[in-house]
Amino acid sequence: MAPPVSATKSPSPSQPSGKSEVSDLKLQLRQLAGSRAPGADDAKRDLFKRVISCMTVGIDVSPAFSEMVMCSATSDVVLKKMCYLYVGNYARGNPDLALLTINFLQRDCHDQDPTIRGLALRSLCSLRVQNLVEYLVAPLVAGLKDHSSYVRTVAAIGVLKLYHISATTCHDSDFPAALKALMLSDPDAQVVANCLYSLLEIWTQEAGNSEEAAREIETLYGKPVIYYLLNRIRDFSEWAQCLLLDLVSKYIPADNNEIFDMMNLLEDRLQHANGAVVLATIKVFLHVTMSMTDVHQQVYERIKAPLLTLVGAGSPEQSYAVLCHLHILVMRAPMLFSSDYKHFYCQFSDPSYVKKLKLEMLTAIANESNTYEIVTELCEYAGNVDVPIARESIRAVGKIALQQYDVNAIVDRLLQFLEMEKDYVTAETLVLVKDLLRKYPQWSHDCIAVVGNISSNSIQEPKAKAALIWMLGEYSQDMMDAPYVLESLVENWEEEHSPEVRLHLLTAVMKCFFKRAPETQKALGAALSAGLADSHQDVHDRALFYYRLLQYDVAVAERVVNPPKQAVSVFADTQSSEIKDRIFDEFNSLSIVYQKPSYMFTDKEHRGPFEFAEDLSNLAIGGDSGDDAIRSAQRYQENDKDLLLSTSDKEENGGPTRNGSNSSTYSAPSDINSSLSALAPSSTAQTATFAIDDLLGLGVPDAPVLTLPPSLILNSKPVLDPGTFQKKWGQLTVSSSQESTLSIQGVASLTAPQSLIRHMQNNSIQCIASGGHPPNYKFFFFAQKEGSSSFFLVECIVNTASAKAQIKIKSDDASASDAFASLFQSALSNFGSL
Amino acid sequence: MLQCIFLLSESGEVMVEKQMTGHRVDRSICAWFWDHLLSLSLSQPEGGHIAQISQVLTSPTHYLFQVYRHGIIFLACTQVELPPLMPIEFLSRLADILSDYLGALNEDIIKDNFVIVYQILDEMMDNGFPLTTEPNVLKEMVTPPNIVSKVFTAVTGKASPAVGPTLPEAAASCVPWRTTHPKNTTNEVYVNLVEHLHACVNREGNLRRCQVYGEIQVNSSLPGFPDLTLSFANPSLLDDVRFHPCVRFRPWESSQFLSFVPPDGQFKLMSYRVKGLKKIPIYLKPQLTSDSGNCRISALLGVKNDPGKTIDSIMVQFQLPPGITSADLTSNHGTVDILADKTCRWSIGQIPKDKLPCLSGNLVLEPGMERLHVAPTFQVKFKIMGVALSGLQIDKLEVKTAAANPYKGFRAQTQAGDYEFRS
Repeated sequence: MAPPVSATKSPSPSQPSGKSEVSDLKLQLRQLAGSRAPGADDAKRDLFKRVISCMTVGIDVSPAFSEMVMCSATSDVVLKKMCYLYVGNYARGNPDLALLTINFLQRDCHDQDPTIRGLALRSLCSLRVQNLVEYLVAPLVAGLKDHSSYVRTVAAIGVLKLYHISATTCHDSDFPAALKALMLSDPDAQVVANCLYSLLEIWTQEAGNSEEAAREIETLYGKPVIYYLLNRIRDFSEWAQCLLLDLVSKYIPADNNEIFDMMNLLEDRLQHANGAVVLATIKVFLHVTMSMTDVHQQVYERIKAPLLTLVGAGSPEQSYAVLCHLHILVMRAPMLFSSDYKHFYCQFSDPSYVKKLKLEMLTAIANESNTYEIVTELCEYAGNVDVPIARESIRAVGKIALQQYDVNAIVDRLLQFLEMEKDYVTAETLVLVKDLLRKYPQWSHDCIAVVGNISSNSIQEPKAKAALIWMLGEYSQDMMDAPYVLESLVENWEEEHSPEVRLHLLTAVMKCFFKRAPETQKALGAALSAGLADSHQDVHDRALFYYRLLQYDVAVAERVVNPPKQAVSVFADTQSSEIKDRIFDEFNSLSIVYQKPSYMFTDKEHRGPFEFAEDLSNLAIGGDSGDDAIRSAQRYQENDKDLLLSTSDKEENGGPTRNGSNSSTYSAPSDINSSLSALAPSSTAQTATFAIDDLLGLGVPDAPVLTLPPSLILNSKPVLDPGTFQKKWGQLTVSSSQESTLSIQGVASLTAPQSLIRHMQNNSIQCIASGGHPPNYKFFFFAQKEGSSSFFLVECIVNTASAKAQIKIKSDDASASDAFASLFQSALSNFGSL
Repeated sequence: MLQCIFLLSESGEVMVEKQMTGHRVDRSICAWFWDHLLSLSLSQPEGGHIAQISQVLTSPTHYLFQVYRHGIIFLACTQVELPPLMPIEFLSRLADILSDYLGALNEDIIKDNFVIVYQILDEMMDNGFPLTTEPNVLKEMVTPPNIVSKVFTAVTGKASPAVGPTLPEAAASCVPWRTTHPKNTTNEVYVNLVEHLHACVNREGNLRRCQVYGEIQVNSSLPGFPDLTLSFANPSLLDDVRFHPCVRFRPWESSQFLSFVPPDGQFKLMSYRVKGLKKIPIYLKPQLTSDSGNCRISALLGVKNDPGKTIDSIMVQFQLPPGITSADLTSNHGTVDILADKTCRWSIGQIPKDKLPCLSGNLVLEPGMERLHVAPTFQVKFKIMGVALSGLQIDKLEVKTAAANPYKGFRAQTQAGDYEFRS
């Protein structure tokens, strides 16, 4: 009897009943193992079911491995399948015991019934145990030659599984060549497809290192293979067709005749019930006709109908993915879709993300003929329950107006929005009216008349307020009360929280001053002095700049601040056309759904959060790389001393220079103030100096006092080696999981993981591993309760962009974990404030 | 390819976990999925129901594809780039097959039959690559838990053989969707035309949009190797069509009829879209007038272009706009319920002969609100048996088969899809 090796691996504490259940199952299995009594199979079936259901729930039933294997001698297929499932799940963790299964699996590989042969072969290959590879070769060789196509399909995939376990064994047995031969000769389409699938994966992985593999890949993409496969495409299953079509899309036809032949052959695939096949076909069509402009155009016409059907008829999941693809096509060739605009009308039940896509498409396809209809539809969304969509649709109306179609009617519509008296509608509309005026100054009279009626008090959103202020400044000659509105805004300077609005206010007052100096003079003085006293650097600088300009020469100032403007002809696009082309090249891939080219979410430097994936698995699974991470953490700690010096140096250097720059800046206002009074009679000297004090004092907020909860004292020098940490981390369950916010200063100081590590060390919390790149860092900390052996283990993921930290705490002593959690949080929130 | 498939219940329980490749996907990915869902429900006013979240998600470790059916979330994980529709189509197919196998689809059924689910998954996908997805073939590899096998078990005391003694012949036949020797054929074939009408009418009563999506469902139980030909009286109506793999493309291209060798049992022969429909069978006139904190609401429903058959199961449904403290709604026909999620449901059934159904009532707004800011959209559901509103008509169905004179049955039905009236 093999000792239950994994008995030490207790099931997770969250399933306290697990352990007794498992031992109970073991006992019963053992009793049944040798039984040949009638009904034994039924009893086994029930037991196996229970084992599998435990496995599904998450209870570790690996201790029953040897018993399961003993019970596996049966002729009942369902029993066999359950047994294979179990073995496949646990063999990797129990390589020694897995050897026990080899015997019966190999026996089954010679069974009369091809189903059993196939099943056994599949399970054998799914064991994925390194030292059992030798037992795989013979059954695979036999499987590839089996007279049942079912077994051959399984064997073809089995080769790939073998390759992933041991690439050398796979090559030594010359399996790739065998697969290739099979692919080109087998009568069964599924076998051919599976061979192709395996070969593609094997050779693509090797193409980088071996010339031979690169050559083999070339042959796969070569004319003979492609033609051979294309001619059989109708025999293939729909999934195999997708695979093949993907292959074909990389093939470069020699001439136009070939292109037309291919398209004729594949045209009926556009009518396939499976959306994946349709999209794969579309990709082929788009790619092969890339160089033939007129045919490419025709392809668009041809694929339009299938895509629109897919969007409308499929389940919501399918229709979203298709819609994303349609979106990119619409963006590339809006004219071709201009008559199908009704398909992009939003339905009430559409989720928001679908509505958003549809709005973008409606915006893109608007032209002379359909603008009226589209804008009417969009206007109906403005009263939508879904506020974000209502906003989007107003923006869409604005964008269409900027495309120069039927501007007259649209301006009327926009102005009607302003009369709806809904805060968010007014806000969005104001921003749009501003953009419209930049492009079509000729509409200013109509717009100004309506905008003038809007009370600036009713608008809260910074963007909208800034837009209104911009219009007040730009058209102050046409708006009777512009100077007075601006003046009242300046009076409420302190209550204006958004720097953007304050910046706009400064500029608007300046512009107004040039046009209506007597009325604005007072407001300008107040604005400049408030600006100079502003705590926001940009606002301060701009106020100072304006002030000096005015001082130098008012005429020059006018030329700088309010030059005659040309109407904007085209607004800058957010996504460059290069990126759009790139996404288009990756048609029928995830890039389309994300609306980003793949390098943006797959390449290392672009994917911050993905780093952790590897980190996590290292630590969770263990192994050499995990040790690396820990070693590097120790290296970090050694570096800490240097770091300490360098940061403190910086502080010392930084301090005086900052003070210096401050004083140089602030020497100016004292003499400005006196001269400013020429322009602005009210003296601002008092406020200005007050502001300086304030500003100097502002950088140093009161340092929060570090408070330790008295209930928990931590050992200041705990010792825990990485191996034990990993073990404990694997065993314990999360006792506390929280999200904490970092202070602004904390985020600022977290340019490298070391700074936080040092800070936590001061709080008796030690770091064992850390890593990551901005904006994401990941730390593993531990701490020990003073005078006790219980440890606290912490996983802490910090995102500096959102200033948030995800904390997971595991503890030997669950009762103290809450106290520790609050201690950890307070330590974390103090970070950077010292 | 796909690395792992999870079946989750709505309460977050992992009901089935199937690892596909050597790379083990940790279960914690499900926790991430739920966290993501939760954070969405907090950030969105209308709540982050599963149906509201995007089908393709990027977790820190994997790409997740999810399909939601009947309270079950089918979640697939992968780390490699692949055509997005492939996993989505596959998961949808899996859901269809499971529901076909188990009679229905819900949490309890999956839990009771998880052994079957594992077996099916095992045959449907090998190493993350779809293998056998034809329901007919699968049924011969994994016996469905049907009444026959239950009776068999009860009578003989033995479990029926789960797998036929030999391999499904379809796996080797040149028509992969059909077994060469289907059992229990009754020599009959049913053709069912099902259409969904999508329409949108705006405040002024103008039809903004009207589309018909339809499908032809066939239930075939014919012996041997039957060759069927289905032709339409007016195929020019069809704007775009999609076919089951069994349909031969050339006859359709040249002369617009369907020629096919059907699989055994129920399948979707074709789905189609019809263009340019201008008539809708039912109209609704909603009126909302609000002043000084009250909103009077009335909605009148009537038949517009009589389809000639009874309109059944009529129901009107709308979401009460935010900011309403109480609602008092009555109707002269049918029942009005206000559900917990502030959905008002007016079940009408059939339109009575003597009067038009009318809903009326009063909504009381929150103090401080003068008038209603957002107008609700009314969704109408109905069913019309015996007619396909698009006007598509089946001309004839010819069956070439070994046995003589099979029974042929035809049915048609129209349902409301997204059928909405804005107010």
